[in-house]
Amino acid sequence: MMHYIVRRMLQIIPVLLIISFIVFTLVFIAGDPVALMLPEDAALEEIEQLRESLGLNEPFYIQYGNYVFRMIQGDFGESFRYGQDALSVVLERLPATFELAIAAIVIAIMIAIPFGIWSATKQNSSIDLIATGAAVVGKAMPNFWLGIMLILLFSVTLGVLPVSGRGSIAHLILPAITLGTGIAAEMTRLIRSSMLEILNQDYIRTAKSKGIKSVHVIYKHAFRNALIPFVTITALQTSTLIGGALITETVFAWPGIGQLLIQAVNTRDMAIVQACVMIIAAIVILMNLLADIIYRILDPRIKLN
Amino acid sequence: MGEQSKAIIDADSQVYMRKRNGTIKRWSKLLLRSKTGTVGLLIVFFITLVAVFAPILAPHDPNAINPGGLHVPPSWMEGGSAEHLLGTDNLGRDILSRIIYGSQVSLLVGIAAVLLSGIIGVCIGLIAGFYGGLLDNILMRFVDSFLAIPTILFSLVFLAVFGPSIITLIIVLGLTNWTSYARLVRGEVLSIKERDFVRAARSIGVKNNKIIIRHLLPNVISTFIVISTLSVASTIILESSLSFLGLGIQPPTVSWGTVLSDGRDYLATSWWLATFPGIAITITVLGIIFLGDWLRDVLDPRTK
Amino acid sequence: MKEPFIHIKNLRTYFHTEDGTVPAVDDVSLSINKGEILAIVGESGSGKSVTSLSLMRLIDPPGRIESGEILFEGHNLVDYSMKKMRAIRGNKIAMIFQEPLTSLNPVFTVGNQISESIIEHQHKSKKEAKQLTIEMLTKVGIPRPDRVFHSYPHALSGGMRQRVMIAMALSCNPELLIADEPTTALDVTIQAQILHLMKELIIEFETSILLITHDLGVVAEMADRVIVMYGGQIVEETDVFTLFKHPKHPYTKGLLSSTPKVHELKEELVPIPGSVPNPIDYPIGCRFADRCALVMETCRTVHPELIEVKPGHLVRCWLHERKGEGT
Repeated sequence: MMHYIVRRMLQIIPVLLIISFIVFTLVFIAGDPVALMLPEDAALEEIEQLRESLGLNEPFYIQYGNYVFRMIQGDFGESFRYGQDALSVVLERLPATFELAIAAIVIAIMIAIPFGIWSATKQNSSIDLIATGAAVVGKAMPNFWLGIMLILLFSVTLGVLPVSGRGSIAHLILPAITLGTGIAAEMTRLIRSSMLEILNQDYIRTAKSKGIKSVHVIYKHAFRNALIPFVTITALQTSTLIGGALITETVFAWPGIGQLLIQAVNTRDMAIVQACVMIIAAIVILMNLLADIIYRILDPRIKLN
Repeated sequence: MGEQSKAIIDADSQVYMRKRNGTIKRWSKLLLRSKTGTVGLLIVFFITLVAVFAPILAPHDPNAINPGGLHVPPSWMEGGSAEHLLGTDNLGRDILSRIIYGSQVSLLVGIAAVLLSGIIGVCIGLIAGFYGGLLDNILMRFVDSFLAIPTILFSLVFLAVFGPSIITLIIVLGLTNWTSYARLVRGEVLSIKERDFVRAARSIGVKNNKIIIRHLLPNVISTFIVISTLSVASTIILESSLSFLGLGIQPPTVSWGTVLSDGRDYLATSWWLATFPGIAITITVLGIIFLGDWLRDVLDPRTK
Repeated sequence: MKEPFIHIKNLRTYFHTEDGTVPAVDDVSLSINKGEILAIVGESGSGKSVTSLSLMRLIDPPGRIESGEILFEGHNLVDYSMKKMRAIRGNKIAMIFQEPLTSLNPVFTVGNQISESIIEHQHKSKKEAKQLTIEMLTKVGIPRPDRVFHSYPHALSGGMRQRVMIAMALSCNPELLIADEPTTALDVTIQAQILHLMKELIIEFETSILLITHDLGVVAEMADRVIVMYGGQIVEETDVFTLFKHPKHPYTKGLLSSTPKVHELKEELVPIPGSVPNPIDYPIGCRFADRCALVMETCRTVHPELIEVKPGHLVRCWLHERKGEGT
């Protein structure tokens, strides 16, 4: 197991290098950051001096090498907007995003597991039709629009929940529901289809023939098996989750990494943008690794092989 | 001799035509059997018509500012007028006309970006699968890397660098979605390469591109159509999200995302500004998903 | 001693599919005596497995028990609620299946799966159940049972898995054990061991067996009485000696001559021509008529009844309709 984890960790390095290369190339093409860093009436000499000191006169590959070297030390450059180290700005915002993401996953699980199981055990019943229908509509609805509609209903019309910002549990509810329902749609479909497959397996017939309660047949024998693809695929969807969080945070002015990133893109604060991309990519890759490990833990058939 | 082969070819093409007509009949039968498939096709057909005939269908110029009629509610509400069926916005622009014109951008960007990503993905998949080895390894690491970056994040970086415009948007959305095609085509190439008829064809000196066209395309075309259809749906959502964030379509071009974003500041007074464009997006995407799911059931029973 | 304790009377189990109704079990009556091994033989699609699943009331939609009675200790199981039925399953009537690998849940240990029914039916604590489970594993001949208790099914060999299934089925000391092709998925040498084990255990546990198989070798080895099914119906029922020495139904004779016999190597194997008719659209006459070498005019027009030709020997065939009584 340790051997496997180490091997997988080593595979992460080239992926992160490729991502950094893509991002760096894009930023390189974007051109001179100096123009944004100095006042518009700066003297040509001054500009040239800054270029020299930032190493911007070096050829592309040297600049990239320096960039990677600094990045390994945790130096993503300085955010000109915040006037401080980009990485620490990003890391400061990370807890808020985690809070939102975890709340969203909890909500998604609370919706998806019962509905996924119900619709699988009562295939073609009205519950099944409602659950699968809701899942498709949930997939078709843009996340940000759902958020706005929730604000319209709960904050503007009913006035029961705050419109935006972070602080209390009340602030968390709407953004978490917005982000959570989007994921719940996909989760419900997944649980339903894997439960349907599993309920047709021989061992379910065996369990029934033992005379145990059908609750046990479904929740112990069937669901424990459905959990394997479910947990794995959920962990693999971190990328979708973070993508959704970027927009949800903007809609609700949630002070997480998504809001930071979009502001940085608008102000072309490239140090922040790069730091955000690398951090998010690292999180996604680590979650994918975690998915693989969890899969191995949950499925006893694999552990021994 | 010539007569004879001509007759054979004629007979062949007749058989082929009969087969094709049979397929069309089978398809329409299958379509009618699936309610969601029928609904999906109707929605897609309807939205396409709206987009093509937008200048005729729209009652107003979507950008015509009317200081005399700001925040007019939908016609069925008190204070609404029949002239503005879905009301007007903070500048007095007609919401219905803006939604009708918005369909053009959604479909254009959605389809163009998916075509672009299809082309990129198929090319990379072909190269990776056919040449294998180190090149394959590097390309597949690229695929992994792309999968580690959320699509919207990549788009944001790209747009931050090149600035928002409809062309950049198509390019960036095209560049983000190619991985699924690349994987599909690569997998198919790898399996075809091992089959006897390809070995035989190669041994008698048939060119690679000929093998690819004759044997690969027929095998991937159905999955390709399914992926493409469902990609159009996700691309439309992504486009509207980026436009909503102010990084996609720029005025005066009208996009559902920007209409929605304009309306967001007036939720307390004019709920209809943000509501109707969202409904338009949801229905369109729903239609495409229905169509795509149905196509998958018909074309590709394996992935059901 | 040999008194019947299960009576199935006129059982009909139909499957309502999109293409039509399949009468998988069509008017089947049988009884099982205490302590005996009753075998049901037939090709796939003959209704033998559906009969056994009906007995357990494990028929899932689109299948349904249409009519008939299943009398067990004087009660009709067809009328039982699911809750009452659960108290029978695994407790009074237990079942083992063809493929032990897929029939055991891959994510639970062997011990967990066996003790589950002990806890459910005998209301034991977890600890007591573990004790009993290990005893059962020992009885079915599993070496180092305390280690196997904690193993997952995939870690065991095919023969061991089937032993585990048997231990699970016998753990609550059932009156009847239904064995649905218990050895088909196993190696030949393992087959003999498993059959031997089953024979041993039913004496110890005083259990009857309903053996579902297509393998006449297994029948000869195990069964006291045999029922031959074809097209959802019983076509012949008799004791095992009569079946092999004096089969009456042409289908039974066909089955026998299409099976290799160890002692008569020279004899030529004769396959039964044709295949099972489409169950959605059975012919009005005898269902075997199209494949029968001795087919007569009546066979195609009138459906034969199951007739007792000798005490304990029943045949559904116009050839054996007693003279003067038939038409």
